[in-house]
Amino acid sequence: MIDFSAPKNRKTFGYLLLAPAVILMAAIIVYPILLSVDVSLQDVRIARIGEDAKPRTLDNYRWLFGSHEFWRAGWVTAKMVFFVGGTALVIGLATAMLVNQRFKGRAAARLFVALPWAVPEVVATVVWAWMLDSSFGVINWGLLQVGLIDQPIQFASDANAAFFAVCFVMIWKGYPLMSIMLLAGLQSIPEEQYQAAKVDGAGPFQRFWYVTIPNLMPVIGVTLVMTTLWVFRDFAIIHVLTEGGPLGATTSLSIMTYEQSFSFFRMGQGAAVGVVTLIICAFISRALVGRFANSPH
Amino acid sequence: MKRLSRIAATTALALTTTLSALSVSAETLTFVSWQKDDPSFGAWWDEVIAEFEATHEGVDIEMTRVARNEYATSMFTMFAGAAPPDIVHLAAFEYQPFAAEGWLEPLDPYIAESGLDLTGWAGQATCEWDGNTSCLMLLYAGYVMAYNEALLADAGVTTPPTDWESFLAAARAATKDTDGDGVTDKFGVGMPTKGASSVMHGILNFVLGAGGDWTVDGKPTFDSEGTIEGLRRWKQLFDEGLTPRDLGTSDMRQLHIEGHIAMLLDGPWVRGVQKRAAEDMLPNLKLAKTPFSPPVGGTSNVLAIPSDISDERKNLVWDFIQIAASEKYQQRFSAISSSPAPRPGLDYSAEIAAEPYFELIAEQANAAAAAGVDRLPRGLEIEFPEVGKIVLQEVQRMLIEDIDPAVTGKTIQERVLAIKK
Repeated sequence: MIDFSAPKNRKTFGYLLLAPAVILMAAIIVYPILLSVDVSLQDVRIARIGEDAKPRTLDNYRWLFGSHEFWRAGWVTAKMVFFVGGTALVIGLATAMLVNQRFKGRAAARLFVALPWAVPEVVATVVWAWMLDSSFGVINWGLLQVGLIDQPIQFASDANAAFFAVCFVMIWKGYPLMSIMLLAGLQSIPEEQYQAAKVDGAGPFQRFWYVTIPNLMPVIGVTLVMTTLWVFRDFAIIHVLTEGGPLGATTSLSIMTYEQSFSFFRMGQGAAVGVVTLIICAFISRALVGRFANSPH
Repeated sequence: MKRLSRIAATTALALTTTLSALSVSAETLTFVSWQKDDPSFGAWWDEVIAEFEATHEGVDIEMTRVARNEYATSMFTMFAGAAPPDIVHLAAFEYQPFAAEGWLEPLDPYIAESGLDLTGWAGQATCEWDGNTSCLMLLYAGYVMAYNEALLADAGVTTPPTDWESFLAAARAATKDTDGDGVTDKFGVGMPTKGASSVMHGILNFVLGAGGDWTVDGKPTFDSEGTIEGLRRWKQLFDEGLTPRDLGTSDMRQLHIEGHIAMLLDGPWVRGVQKRAAEDMLPNLKLAKTPFSPPVGGTSNVLAIPSDISDERKNLVWDFIQIAASEKYQQRFSAISSSPAPRPGLDYSAEIAAEPYFELIAEQANAAAAAGVDRLPRGLEIEFPEVGKIVLQEVQRMLIEDIDPAVTGKTIQERVLAIKK
């Protein structure tokens, strides 16, 4: 019988308490990842749990790196990450600073800012798909009425329009998270720092640049990582709006993974795309977290 | 103490009741379908299930609905996880990968033992895979033209078009901006550009009408003269703005019943959609033969047995399939769905009396079957999802970049041959 109250056994006791959580995480996170890696190393159209594994091969990765589609999907994903992440950060910061001010109706404004985050993704995207429809959509109608365009924009059949339509909906859906996180960050900045900056003669822009931004850097880092990972794995918005088209203009790595695995029944190749995406995400997360965690603040 | 005894007695009674109920319903067959609760096909399934349960005491069927657009993925996940439903219901164009994996039980021994005669069963040849009968075909249908009589009459078109030229002329005449806001709000025709298989089925109307086909004797013929002419005709509808863009089939159907689309080329199930129109709109919505010959036709959905389940359950599922294939329920299928059933030799006089378009629908199915038409290109069954994606991409490119259909046909042919290698 182990005496867990004894100081020498405290560490063991700690591990024992952690064990259920670690085992659960291994079962629901690590095992599927290992399974994906295993499937990606097999020349298999449809993988089936419990069946004998096929001989290991690197054919799926050879196909992947030699595939024009993969590089295009990677480029599309990168563009989405930069555009959506950057724009959502700017809008999120602006709205966070706005609702951090004291004014009448602040509670309603905060609710309004967070609203897109609360709407289920698929529902919101279907609504946007109708609004962006090139023949009957209200957005084209509005733009035509105010004279900004003289022909309806083909949001689903013009490659650039489709890309920006997808990004727009992603930003609309994603900026509230930025805003909420940054608002929390803003509220944690000590008021004394602003007062000291004022005493030193700093203007509003200088206070923003030398007090607000450095204090927010860790929050910005974490939020950017979350947004980056969200854009990488987001499937519903692209699938509902454009299904990855036209001509692959909105086919991201997640859409390509789905297509290979579930549309073309090439699970080995789909798993290879998924594994490479996972590795890219891990590197980006590490780089961003490291960069912002070591910020001057 | 008295209260405690009462609680114990009640609990014991509840447990006994539950256990007896469980022993009566000892077996439950699972059945997944996108047609559960469907206004027409759903009612037929309910009747077949009721008959099965009445004739198989202690066996229940638990039917679950999965949406059509995520259906193949859901079934694939269930099979891959070694937990398929007992009764397998699949679209005719998506069962092949399941059969190729050996996940579907060959039905030949069951057919031989039961004496079920499938001679003349419409579309049953599609169920033959690798020398085995993998499924039972539930519907073979020919396409019809749904049209809005009032919209065509307003455009000066008094009879439904009967060939490409009259179809194009009617589409041009019916396309209008009726409220003068600079945006077209009435379209002559509705062709989907979303969903690879919907787009392929839509184009096939024009391809067949121009004498082409996707494959001939199992070989791809996307660059044949007839196929290119079909692509050219389809493209012309978009170039002239005669159809809305960027919409899927269900959007087109909705716009048709709301009075925004004059003509729609679709399967006979479009009649069921028309019947959902508003009361003042319904009298305008009619069916006619498609202006193109032969009409698009094809197999629709199949029933199969998974190879993974026990022999006892396989026998039960076969019983279910036999009920669905019986003369009585094939007749009910026609009555409920207003479509001819695949079983030959049925008497449709009652259905014709009840649904004025029944004869037209049967005629179109016969015309498509006689011409050997199937929406699923023969020889490309396994690769169909990839072929569909290639066709969708290339026809989108053709529209966006205004590419000559001959070039598009050639590109599709090369890409399809590349994946066949």
